[in-house]
Amino acid sequence: MNAMRKCFIGLALVVASLTSCQKEYKEPAPDHAFSVRFRPVVQETDNILEFGKTYTNFFNEPFEVRTFKFYVHDIKLINTENGYTFSVGKDEHFLVDAADTIGSRIDVKVPTATYNRISFKIGVDSVRNFSGAQTGALDPALGMFWTWNSGYIMAKLEGTSPVTGQPGDVFEYHIGGFKAPDNVVQQVSLPFPSPITLRKDAETEIIIAADVYRWFNGVHDIRLDTNPVVMSPGPLAKKVSENYANMFTVLHFISYL
Amino acid sequence: MTFRWTILLAAVLFTAGFLVNACKKSGAPAAPPTTPLTFTVPDGWPQPLYNFEGNPITKEGFELGKKLFYDGILSKDGNFPCASCHQQFAAFATFDHPLSHGFDNQFTLRNAPGLFNMVWLPAMHWDGGINHIEVQPLAPITAPNEMAEDIANVVKKLQQHPEYPNHFKAAFGDATVTSERMLKALTQFVGMMVSANSKYDKVKRGELSFTADEQKGYEIFQAKCASCHTEPLFTDNSYRNTGLPLDPVLKDYGRMRITGNSADSLKFKVPSLRNLYLTFPYGHDGRFYAVRDVLDHYSHGVQDGPTVDPLVKNKIPLSDADKFYLQYFLRTLTDSTFIADKRFGPPQ
Ligand code: HEC
Ligand code: HEC
Repeated sequence: MNAMRKCFIGLALVVASLTSCQKEYKEPAPDHAFSVRFRPVVQETDNILEFGKTYTNFFNEPFEVRTFKFYVHDIKLINTENGYTFSVGKDEHFLVDAADTIGSRIDVKVPTATYNRISFKIGVDSVRNFSGAQTGALDPALGMFWTWNSGYIMAKLEGTSPVTGQPGDVFEYHIGGFKAPDNVVQQVSLPFPSPITLRKDAETEIIIAADVYRWFNGVHDIRLDTNPVVMSPGPLAKKVSENYANMFTVLHFISYL
Repeated sequence: MTFRWTILLAAVLFTAGFLVNACKKSGAPAAPPTTPLTFTVPDGWPQPLYNFEGNPITKEGFELGKKLFYDGILSKDGNFPCASCHQQFAAFATFDHPLSHGFDNQFTLRNAPGLFNMVWLPAMHWDGGINHIEVQPLAPITAPNEMAEDIANVVKKLQQHPEYPNHFKAAFGDATVTSERMLKALTQFVGMMVSANSKYDKVKRGELSFTADEQKGYEIFQAKCASCHTEPLFTDNSYRNTGLPLDPVLKDYGRMRITGNSADSLKFKVPSLRNLYLTFPYGHDGRFYAVRDVLDHYSHGVQDGPTVDPLVKNKIPLSDADKFYLQYFLRTLTDSTFIADKRFGPPQ
């Protein structure tokens, strides 16, 4: 009997070791799978961007897109009614790449609750711009890092247009800069069409339109003929970021059971 | 009976221990042990700005960094390892070249500086464009006129190489090659390069003394040069315009390229003067062939302009004798131990 007790102690130890292991490696995680899917569009939220197809901007300049990427961090789900905010974490960075459906989706976990707003920042947290070699979404191999003037390219729009006067008709907007006054990190805060209550047993996806049309105008006029290339931090990059800070619209939610 | 239960208990405990262990290493096989190396700060020097905190130096990491530094695999056509432009006998500058050769018969924009005491630099390159030693190698690797490669492709080449994955495993615990690991290994190698054993250092440590000529040179230096070339690193890490006229071909505006601020036009980082006699030619574009030419510039070549530094604006009065003594002093900054140090030589 005594031995039996010993065995129980042993079993208890196994269980204890397993739970202690979980404690050490998993923070008490919010359990609802939540995805943010960015839908690249042009001008109308149902006009899905196709790479290589010709569109015209506000100034009637024709353009084709071949790259459209941006960093997102500091995602928060908010309920302005009761003041509750869930923060995914300031340090979690995501690179959204409109080139494919996987790349344009961000998967996070959030607590089930009712929310009526999402906020996030476009760009890379300033500290991460001088933190040396990094990996994951911030791996410089992803081509979003300026090698000669250290810092991340926080958003990129590239393509062609006959009006640029550049070799190969290219236009290239590499927008970055993390130092005041030319810090291009933009805060975005988007209300939902109506509040959503997340269900415990479901997964939720929010579809947000990201409109390339808004890069060229809105706050500042950025014409392809006069400004076909923006490749370094500065006032011009800042202006472009002030334009694209307005490119997002929440479209709808999808719930998977 | 009791005996059997004891065995069972032992088995249970063993399993428990195993589970705990497995969970610590998240299921991966045990990482091979690494041999730590220590970084020593020379006596009387300030603490380095990069302290290897997130990148502990090990023999394995250092050796991997050295292999990478000397290997053309980091360049597009295999011909331009770091060491092609940074040669140990020239204190890791490019020997006898104003500008260095890179991919496709192109020249670099600037003169390759010597590489030593890098972990004390708050920013790198003549314009200070690189804000962290770990990301510095990205610049030469991707520059079309240097190594002309793509980071993702370098990572792929290293991953597919017959030997490199093993070296990454030895240094970082598993055979996965990532840009982060490659950069950290290179940083271990370059960051370990400390040059602090010149005659000047020996004098400071009380092991030797200056000759009368060197001592006179040292006094002139302290009076006229040390406010920018500050001891013991011989730079104050500031950006200054010393009145070098703009080269009409290179059109290099220095610091302004990074800040976009016209007040920074034609300012360049104050270079260290350690190992000066090994790193000729001089200046950001290597326009001066001899130390004497630089001294002549300070005494009567400075061209005034809106951003020229007040300390050199009216030229630095230097007699021929001053220049003679200064050169005696500057020669004491050569560290022959550093350029012969086998740790930094090509991998065996
Ligand atoms: C084609 C020649 C060339 C190659 C290859 C090259 N470099 Fe350089 N290196 C230079 C030049 C030129 C500079 C100065 C750049 C500047 O100031 O704009 C430099 C600057 C540096 C600096 C900064 C020194 C300082 O005082 O600011 C470091 C560190 C360095 N190189 C390390 C490396 C490493 C590591 C590699 C290999 C991954 C490498 N270099 C490959 C030419 C080269
Ligand atoms: C106002 C600050 C300042 C003062 C004072 C100054 N220097 Fe310099 N020195 C610099 C800067 C900046 C450079 C780089 C200039 C460039 O290439 O654009 C430099 C470059 C040099 C170089 C070339 C080094 C190399 O590796 O290319 C030498 C040699 C030198 N200085 C020696 C001296 C001596 C000797 C004195 C005193 C007579 C002196 N300097 C005074 C700022 C200064």
